[in-house]
Amino acid sequence: MEKLLLVDMDKCTGCKQCSLACSLTKEDLFDSSRGRIKILKKEDIALGLQLLCEQCESHPCIASCPNGALSRDDKTGIITVDEKLCTSQGACVDACIYHAIRLHPEIKQPMFCDLCGGDPYCVKHCVPGALQWVNESDDTSKMKKKFRSSRMTKYKELKKEVA
Amino acid sequence: MYGHQGKILHVDIGTGKTWLEDIPEEWRRLYVGSRGINAKILWDYCKDPSITWDDPRNIIIFAPGAVTGTTAPASGRTSVTTVGCTTGLYLKSNTGGHWGAELKFAGYDHLVVHGVAKEPVYILIEDDHVEVRDAKKLWGKDIIQTDALLKEWHGEDSRGLYIGPAGERLVRAASIQCSLYHAAGRGGGAAVMGKKKLKAISVRGTKPVRVKDPKKFAEVAQEMRELLRKDSGAQSLHEFGTSGSIGAVNELHAFPGKNWQTGYTENAHPITGQALNELGYLKRRVACFGCTIGCHRYSTIEKGPNAGIASGGPEYETFGALGNGPGIIDTEGVLILNEICNRLGLDTITAGTVTQWAIESYLRGVLTKEDTDGLELDWGKLEEVKKTVEKLALRDGNLGDLLGDGLKIATKKVGKDSYKWAIMNAKGLEQSNVETRSAKAYALAFAVNPRGNDHLMTETFAEFGASPEAIEVIEKVTGDKKWASPHFTEYRAEIVRWHEDCYEITEALGFCVFTSTAAYGVNPDNMARLYAAATGIEMSEEEMMLTGRRVCTIEKAFNVTRGATREHDNLPWRLMNEGAASGPLKGEKNSQEELDGMLDRYYELHGWDKKTSWPTRETLEMLNLKFVADYLEELGKLP
Repeated sequence: MEKLLLVDMDKCTGCKQCSLACSLTKEDLFDSSRGRIKILKKEDIALGLQLLCEQCESHPCIASCPNGALSRDDKTGIITVDEKLCTSQGACVDACIYHAIRLHPEIKQPMFCDLCGGDPYCVKHCVPGALQWVNESDDTSKMKKKFRSSRMTKYKELKKEVA
Repeated sequence: MYGHQGKILHVDIGTGKTWLEDIPEEWRRLYVGSRGINAKILWDYCKDPSITWDDPRNIIIFAPGAVTGTTAPASGRTSVTTVGCTTGLYLKSNTGGHWGAELKFAGYDHLVVHGVAKEPVYILIEDDHVEVRDAKKLWGKDIIQTDALLKEWHGEDSRGLYIGPAGERLVRAASIQCSLYHAAGRGGGAAVMGKKKLKAISVRGTKPVRVKDPKKFAEVAQEMRELLRKDSGAQSLHEFGTSGSIGAVNELHAFPGKNWQTGYTENAHPITGQALNELGYLKRRVACFGCTIGCHRYSTIEKGPNAGIASGGPEYETFGALGNGPGIIDTEGVLILNEICNRLGLDTITAGTVTQWAIESYLRGVLTKEDTDGLELDWGKLEEVKKTVEKLALRDGNLGDLLGDGLKIATKKVGKDSYKWAIMNAKGLEQSNVETRSAKAYALAFAVNPRGNDHLMTETFAEFGASPEAIEVIEKVTGDKKWASPHFTEYRAEIVRWHEDCYEITEALGFCVFTSTAAYGVNPDNMARLYAAATGIEMSEEEMMLTGRRVCTIEKAFNVTRGATREHDNLPWRLMNEGAASGPLKGEKNSQEELDGMLDRYYELHGWDKKTSWPTRETLEMLNLKFVADYLEELGKLP
């Protein structure tokens, strides 16, 4: 059965275990800025807001890349970077409608969540249950979209405040 | 380096000079990290008893733990160590939040601040860039304003640690706030910062933390995480926060009210974590860096005349000291008082305790209306308590100035036996809200605590036997499950001694002490294995625990240099001489006789002299602390 990742902002305590776990499994070290999942932390209102690649249908990142460095697996939706073609311009960062893409702090190439090939390591670390790896159904798909839309609404609200 | 970043950053804010020191390999074996290495550094720089809290030679040290920055659950805490202002003795305080992890990611395990600035300054740390900067624009600002300015100047991802107006005014109850709503609150560390004219430390770090054996490390971290996931104590902390236990504590008649004259309050429900949830004040459950429990709260008032009040907490201690204590059995009332403390930078425990002392002193006619600046103090009057707390933070008027010095000084100024209802022991720190008359290991732990009588140098919650895991700890320490009851005085010394070591290594690694002494997912065995995976330094459980005892002994010896003796290891007069008001242990006291029995055994277990309480040379040398023995001998303070 297909599975999907539920990302619930209301249950996020902002601890960053997920980002740290991601950097560990991908690079054998701890650095939340290397996490393919990012927690936007707003300390004054004690908010943690998760941002990560959603394997979305529209995937504007791919078209935005002037070098054609990004490709997408049609079945899983997972985006891959061709390291040789990527010139670190960051067009994909700006294009992403879910504000999910960051450049790697060292190699300066974009990082994409690949769901760890179907067994996301971050989920095991999220004890409050803000990240859940569940069977795909109409209900869970709806829930995923609902969670995402409330995260994006919050994100826009925060950015407006800053501006 | 693995586990640690390997660097101690020194900053002299008087001269602006900064320098780096490598952490000696030997220190990683002997003291592990954070609280442990801080103790060694404080000893080295400040052992001379002529260095008082306000002496320019006093230093203040900030340190995340040996595994802070990793996925080890709840390992993001920071120890702050200095010569304390409230007691004049050793002070270690500890804070959650996200600042300490950021310091580690900037590449440092310890930040040592030396000297005194002429004008207000703050320290800016951005990886290798370290600078002492002018803080004129921050001085006088509250915590919220200070954090906002630092983030405006140094980015939303920077993390701040700061003092508020209370710390600037050298108020003993002042708290070092960290990531806004977390605090190294106790003992007046904020007044030490205030004296140095150090307003804030802003940190941004981008360097990874590496461990020696990532696979093994992840296995041990997972073991801890899964134990905590199943632990009923940890679950309750997430669901209801630290204040979730108030109902049960009240049922035991152990919830101090009216300056410890009551232990039970009819309908205490409004001042519980459960009420925060039910009444809709709880906005979010919040975690410190890397914490899988998330016991912190963010609470808001959204409707009615108090709408707009929002802050972190309140914690158990705040509902106790500023709620039940002064008789404010009102959720919004405590939310308001809590918000003032977080905004102005006050430790809610001391703020509440001095307020209760003032109320009782006024009711007894010991403080006059002139002393209270016209306030007619009484139990249950929110407006008066609010004004008292604000006066305290700002040292405003006669009352603010009197309370601002803390009970140790205030009781001397006021006289008239007012020490008898001052809830502090001989060291002079206001006691946290644990009814030691009905919990005997707590009583001993509070009495011997080097920083004064509270639960934050060791915690013996296991003596209540509230869970199978707690009972197991008691069985392991005493040999028999039957001792898992707080009413016994037998084996309390053994229980305290074990928890001291366990608590110390928990903090040295950067863990929250809830993980090992309130919930039971982290223990000496898995900490030793985790430390080995992180650093490559192999230690048995026993060797790891011995590092804890070594550090506790340095902390004790530090106080000996300042004249501490057996007489300082006691409890507040009221608790030693007046019986508990009600409940199963009605009339129970912490009598001197009872305490003496436990102290004798405790000193014996430590290898300390029973008459003076001073560590012997033999004990010190067994712990590789010959340098401590030599110095104590020089001072004539070796038994």
